[in-house]
Amino acid sequence: MVKYFADIYNSTTAILSGMYLTINHLFRAKKGIATLQYPEERWPRPERTIGFEHGSYNVIRSRLHVDIDDCIGCLKCERACPVDCIKIETEKSPSRGEDIKDINHVGITSNSTKKALVVTRFDIDMSECCYCNLCTYPCPEECIFMTGGPNESRHSIDYEFSEPERTDLIYHFSKPGTKDGLQEMLSNREAEA
Amino acid sequence: MTVDFIYNFMIDLLPGFLGNDFLLILAMLLPFFALFGFITVYGFGVIYAELKVSSFIQDKTGPMGQGYGFHAGKWGFLQPVADGLHLFFKEDIIPATADRPLFILAPFLIFIGMFVGIIAIPFGEAIIISDMNIGIFYILGVGSLAVIALILAGWSSNNKWALYGGMRSAAQIISYEIPAGLSLIVVILLASSLSMQEIISYQSGGMFNWIIFDNPFMPIAFIIFFISALAETNRTPFDLPESESELVAGFVTEYSGARYAFFFLSEYVNMFVISAVASTAFLGGWQSPFPNFLNTPAWSVFWMISKAFFLVFIMIWVRWTVPRLRVDQLMHLCWKVFIPIGLFNIFGVSIWTVLRG
Repeated sequence: MVKYFADIYNSTTAILSGMYLTINHLFRAKKGIATLQYPEERWPRPERTIGFEHGSYNVIRSRLHVDIDDCIGCLKCERACPVDCIKIETEKSPSRGEDIKDINHVGITSNSTKKALVVTRFDIDMSECCYCNLCTYPCPEECIFMTGGPNESRHSIDYEFSEPERTDLIYHFSKPGTKDGLQEMLSNREAEA
Repeated sequence: MTVDFIYNFMIDLLPGFLGNDFLLILAMLLPFFALFGFITVYGFGVIYAELKVSSFIQDKTGPMGQGYGFHAGKWGFLQPVADGLHLFFKEDIIPATADRPLFILAPFLIFIGMFVGIIAIPFGEAIIISDMNIGIFYILGVGSLAVIALILAGWSSNNKWALYGGMRSAAQIISYEIPAGLSLIVVILLASSLSMQEIISYQSGGMFNWIIFDNPFMPIAFIIFFISALAETNRTPFDLPESESELVAGFVTEYSGARYAFFFLSEYVNMFVISAVASTAFLGGWQSPFPNFLNTPAWSVFWMISKAFFLVFIMIWVRWTVPRLRVDQLMHLCWKVFIPIGLFNIFGVSIWTVLRG
């Protein structure tokens, strides 16, 4: 009989203490939230210590980036890619090594190479990329690189590039309107001539 | 808001318009639509509250809408609407081997059982759809209609989990009807009436005339009634009929789309009915907590709904605190704890009433 009432007392107090705990969590909800509204809020990126000067080693491959002004359209990266996620199309430049203002084409790279080709399409499908880094080695102008590591100064590190649509993961590095603009410009020149 | 009141009002307003039978049907349909609107709004509100309270208890934010694009509105206000639309536009699957007529009947039956319970709930001195003299008995009776619907759902699904769920819910609801009835008998002893309005008028005159403060036995009766009612609504900690870890989803395993929505909504409507009965029987119903203060009809609706919502909040709070009971613990709680204490309560209150005169 004593055990019967002791059991009732114990279970009642146990439930009440549990309910006290949960109501505390309910009322301090404003400051005690443990989750983030992800796309709008993000955790701050922690300071990384990997045991050595990480700026010297290309250990971080967060995503491919292309400085399109330096690209000469040699297609070496496209051929090197083992999964064929890089698609490049080029057109012959009407005037070698000169800037074309109409399509924002820069004629000379930062390595002082005169560009003979206009890159009309430079697409990288990051959903297919296997992060092997093989495309960056053959590049003569060092314009395709993985962001992060020693390249961090050249492009901000982008470690979470989730997108609502799969096609949004195809990055278009060529300047918008290059292909149409070039054709229009060439046809205009023909008409003038 | 009785049907007679609306009928007489319309007779005065539109003499000889389209015949009196038509007006009578109209007078019956108006409260029905008002009730249906109330249930819809209440359903959205309580589902939102459930999402938010559960999230805050678990240190989450719950549904939130920020930024641009398709989001659930400011603070996720549109989340229940999205859930409802989602359920109603889903494919309605009926298993090939299911008992088709019974499978279709069960969601309607459970919803009818919940819906007809509301008509006896008083929201004010005159705001009650049907003020019958056996109101509390009627609500207990139609509340048990859910058992038939749950067994039908479990049996007709032709699924072992659904059948287990239906059987468990039958055992559970039938068992917990007894302590719920025993604790309401105590209230009926004091008020000497089964009518909801007379039970409320017994408690008039401020907070300390409420039945829960009437004598030392009443808080115990209230707690027994509330926990038994919680068990009848099939919510955690008494959600054995649909315990996910054992029975997938219990009796609703095979239901999808709008039929599942009926089960879902009827659970929440049942929560409201139970809370309204508890606040009528123990917390003064539509009476204001202060004597002769804020007791107008509009305030009476406010008091009734706020008392009921407070109890609904406690149900949500308990759900996200207490883990599920085992089957043997469930039956132990009912037959070895609640029923003896309930019977003792009846004895004690009877003695108390006799001694007090």
